Amino acid sequence: MTIVPVISLEPEIQSRRTARHVFNVILRDPLSLISTIVIILFILIAIFCYQVAPYPLEGAGKTNVANSLLPPSLEHPFGCDKLGRDVLSRVIVGARPALIVPIGVVAFAVLIGAPLGAIAGFKGGWIDEIIMRVTDLFLAFPSLLLAMAIASALGRGIQNAAIALIVSWWPWYTRLVRGVTISLKERYFVEAAQAIGVRESVIILRHILPNTISAILVQATVDLGTVILAMGGLAFLGLGTQPPSPDWGLMVSEGRTYILEQWWISTFPGLAIFVVVLAFNLIGDTLRDIFDPRQYR
Amino acid sequence: MHRLEFILRRLLSSIFVLIGVSIITFTVARVIPSNAAAMYIGPKARPEDIARVTVKLGLDKPLPEQYLVYMGELLHGDLGTSIGTKRPVLMELSGRLPATLELLFTGMLIAVIVGVPMGVLSARWQGKPADVFVRVIAIIGVSMPAFYLGLLLQILFFSRLDLLPLAGRFSNELRFTNPINLLTNFLLIDALIMRNWIALKDVAYHLVLPALTLAAFPAGLIARMTRASMLEVMEQDYIRTARAYGIRETVIVYIYALKNALSPTLTVIGLTFAFALTGTFFVEVIFNWPGLGLFTVHSLLNVDYPAIMGITLFGSVMYVLINLAVDLLQAWIDPRISLK
Amino acid sequence: MKQNRLVIFILLAVMLMVSACGGNTATPATTEAPVTPPTEVVQPTQAPPTAVPPTDVPAPEPTAAPKVLRIANTANFTTWDPIKSFSTEAAYMANMYEQLLRINPPNSAERFTPLLAESWESTADGLTWTFHLRQGVTFHDGEVMNANAVKLSIEAAADHGGASFIWWMLDTIDTPDEYTVVFNLTTPAPVDLIASSLYSAWIISPKALEAVAADETYFETGKEAGTGPYLLDSYTPDQEVVFKKFDNYWGGWSSDNYDIVLNLIVPESTTQQQLLEGGEIDLASTIPYDNVDTFKTNPDYTVYEEKSFFNYVGFFNTLRPPLDNPLVRQALSYAIPYQDIISIAFSGLGTQSRGPVPEGVWPWSDQVNQYTYDMDKAEELMDQAGYGDGGFTIRLTHASENAAEATFAPLIKDSFAQLGVEVTIESMLFNQQWEQAKSDPANAQDMFLLLYWPTYSDAGSDNLWSMFYYTEAPFFNLSYWNNPDYNSQLDQAIANTVVDPAKSQQEYIDVMNLLVDQAPGVFFLDTKAPYVIPNHIAGFQYNLNYPFTPFWFYELTPAK
Repeated sequence: MTIVPVISLEPEIQSRRTARHVFNVILRDPLSLISTIVIILFILIAIFCYQVAPYPLEGAGKTNVANSLLPPSLEHPFGCDKLGRDVLSRVIVGARPALIVPIGVVAFAVLIGAPLGAIAGFKGGWIDEIIMRVTDLFLAFPSLLLAMAIASALGRGIQNAAIALIVSWWPWYTRLVRGVTISLKERYFVEAAQAIGVRESVIILRHILPNTISAILVQATVDLGTVILAMGGLAFLGLGTQPPSPDWGLMVSEGRTYILEQWWISTFPGLAIFVVVLAFNLIGDTLRDIFDPRQYR
Repeated sequence: MHRLEFILRRLLSSIFVLIGVSIITFTVARVIPSNAAAMYIGPKARPEDIARVTVKLGLDKPLPEQYLVYMGELLHGDLGTSIGTKRPVLMELSGRLPATLELLFTGMLIAVIVGVPMGVLSARWQGKPADVFVRVIAIIGVSMPAFYLGLLLQILFFSRLDLLPLAGRFSNELRFTNPINLLTNFLLIDALIMRNWIALKDVAYHLVLPALTLAAFPAGLIARMTRASMLEVMEQDYIRTARAYGIRETVIVYIYALKNALSPTLTVIGLTFAFALTGTFFVEVIFNWPGLGLFTVHSLLNVDYPAIMGITLFGSVMYVLINLAVDLLQAWIDPRISLK
Repeated sequence: MKQNRLVIFILLAVMLMVSACGGNTATPATTEAPVTPPTEVVQPTQAPPTAVPPTDVPAPEPTAAPKVLRIANTANFTTWDPIKSFSTEAAYMANMYEQLLRINPPNSAERFTPLLAESWESTADGLTWTFHLRQGVTFHDGEVMNANAVKLSIEAAADHGGASFIWWMLDTIDTPDEYTVVFNLTTPAPVDLIASSLYSAWIISPKALEAVAADETYFETGKEAGTGPYLLDSYTPDQEVVFKKFDNYWGGWSSDNYDIVLNLIVPESTTQQQLLEGGEIDLASTIPYDNVDTFKTNPDYTVYEEKSFFNYVGFFNTLRPPLDNPLVRQALSYAIPYQDIISIAFSGLGTQSRGPVPEGVWPWSDQVNQYTYDMDKAEELMDQAGYGDGGFTIRLTHASENAAEATFAPLIKDSFAQLGVEVTIESMLFNQQWEQAKSDPANAQDMFLLLYWPTYSDAGSDNLWSMFYYTEAPFFNLSYWNNPDYNSQLDQAIANTVVDPAKSQQEYIDVMNLLVDQAPGVFFLDTKAPYVIPNHIAGFQYNLNYPFTPFWFYELTPAK
């Protein structure tokens, strides 16, 4: 009567099963399908922005004074801004910082936060206390306020805004993973692994973290939407990307002066933020329904 | 004495957190590369004046010493003087708090009044068009950037329709013809107390757009959460039993289910309050609302470090104290928790 | 989950307690203004409430409305101290305080308007200036304005004023009788110009001067002690200032004047415009340049495009190659799209500068040269200098608060790119930008965009000296330029200003042409200030000698 630890096999089989499952669910639900397509579209646009944009140089910031404040037309579907730059191109090139940077931010937040949470949850005791106190410290501030304070301390610019956001967001993952870890610890197969004598680090890496992936994935997807909003907000206030680089939040802020007559300068970048965040939220909903229909967050 | 031990532990860790917060904020605020003395004086500040003001503000002392001085003053209730306005930070904070609170309460009120029924309806008619409609509206609310929504509302209701005021809390003409006597600094309440109907109407008009903008995100969130928790509750056995007994669907939904779904919903309402707080930054900027959010943004952009310190400390202290109080009360109510 | 209901309840309770405490704080925001009749009590509605307890009078019906002028201004108070004042609060100081005299706009019949001094003269050598004071003038606090008050005020200003340097040549002040003041100088200087300055020239009540000598923060809670037509009624920082007319003003009052001036502090020009159009304010200090044109065709408004004191200069870091080579600097000066900058970033409201002295201010002259936008010439000069393909980078810094700089910096970038010169644009708070430039030259920028204005109406001893005269520790010489010819010629010109104005003007012209030729900086434009005045207000007159002060309340009346 050997205790056959099917542990090493299980997570992989589970994940394969779930991936296919996710795929199917998305294909069948029109909203999710559209959202996924939109996201993939935007990511492709972000990667190939210079190829896609009709006026790539203007997208990056080159001025074209003769076209100042042109309304939308065939040549310029989204019109031109004050310095004559094609707004459509600016929105396209702006997709890169708007999407890639938040993806990076969330990735780093996970990379920092998740292992810390796993360690805290698994080890318990004073390591847990310390990590939790530090996490509480950071969570004592509303994330956006913390990000604003750090961004203004480090100086304006997109890298500093990204760092500020990473620093503000990692605690959430620590808390999340810690919670999952604690509940996983109780599951028998972890105890079984300990009984056999597998090293702790191996347990954390091979068994606990993979099982937290679904929780992290759901949270990360929704967080992407929130971080995109936060980046846009920071840029809007003047703390993120600096001109003349394109950035959706910055463009909304720049267009505010002209909002009455030349509405297109603020409207289209704002719309872009809205659409992307909406897509991420919809997918996040679907993922949540799949992985944990009982969770209401 | 497990309870006592628990209380002491929580107190200690709260103090640790508060001190940590103050150190982090202090370091962050003072690390910002900018000459605080020069900002204090204004543009074209001359070197002699900068030197003089540097000494006056105590900026020539080493950083740890400055921190101790600051903490010492803090314990006397002195949060320092704002570089921008030259008035005590505590006065700035307490003066602007009512404006933000009024906005927050109104916004949250709208969010709850709109969100909860939406969520309930959506759960009641799950799968039907009403459900889809609510879900779409809710998720739009959650995805819409607050600064964008505010601009759009301004364009629509002020520029195109000329129905609502653009910004601020109160019209300028009325300041002299129907002034409000300030008691609580909550303009709605003050106008109401003095039966100043004209002023009341004006204040209400000014509140509409900012409150709506602020309410969008929480309303969406609350609707979604209410729906989810309603659905969860409605799957319970006792609901099925009630149906089997032939009790009307309406009664089931609105009375039994709702009652039980309400608690988690309240959790969420509490959480969305925090989200709404960060929303005030953008709303107050767009509508030139003289509250804490606008003050925070200006202080951060202008590197007004005493103000920044004051705001972050104030916010964190509130948060920590409340959590502490709640934990303690919880422990008192349910002793099992302190044994954890 | 009971505890969460508890959370909300406690949160509400605590916050209400805190704000109620705030509500009861007696604010020193109101001043010691003379007691007003109760019906005219003005309550600031966006502030910590005043120390005046709420009256028992129930909801007031519209009272006999005092004549109220409603203004929006971007200007905030850096300080309330008239001695220390050196910033945008001048807009308000100028209506509460007065100098000995005021300089009139260029091309006026008289150069000066007498204020607290009725007449003045100087000796031929320009070293002694005598001012005869007006009698019967009182300060807002009741003190009499006399020679002693003037002496104390100017001495304090010269000692530690915000712009104390304008009095550097002051030796002593004598008061031979109660209404005569004599200024004794160490070098000849135009004291009439200096005493009319917007800064460090206000005459202040001796009682207040005593108080501030005892307590440095005396003025900061919002107090004033001037002789001007309006006094302070209430002040809410970041929100508004309310002024009331000073009944004992020496100039007297007519029924046309305004009783109350409500000045809202609105930092955003867009909001100001919308308040103006919505009829919520009568006057706006700033309208977005782009939207000025729409008012020109509006019959309810008159648009004034006034020359202003302000100009934009771009400093090259002359210490760092290849910007140490005048040929390169000249080439780059030809590569600036001057007209585009004016039309795009300023909506056409400006004229290209001739050197750093703004038009309309001494010692401006049309005989000073200017560059043109000529890319061929630019390339030619770059070739000559050995940088035919460019190949270097320029780090350009500008103030993040300045939207115009943010708009035209990319234009410079694109133009220089055509020469193969790459420009990186860095925007930061002006304070930080300036600190960086003044500190370590190794860390310094290559090009510094600056919005400048002289402290008083002498741009020879101010602009030309401050911006390009060599000093060891750079203050505004952010090109770090050190040209001995320039330094000595400028000294000459300044010295002759009072003694031999004609000679001085010629010397100035020569020294300005030397400056333009060597091009340590680019001289972009002199800005024009647009003012949109609704036709129901009369009496607006812009005086470029007083930047930040678009509105002289005393002169504004409702139009007939």
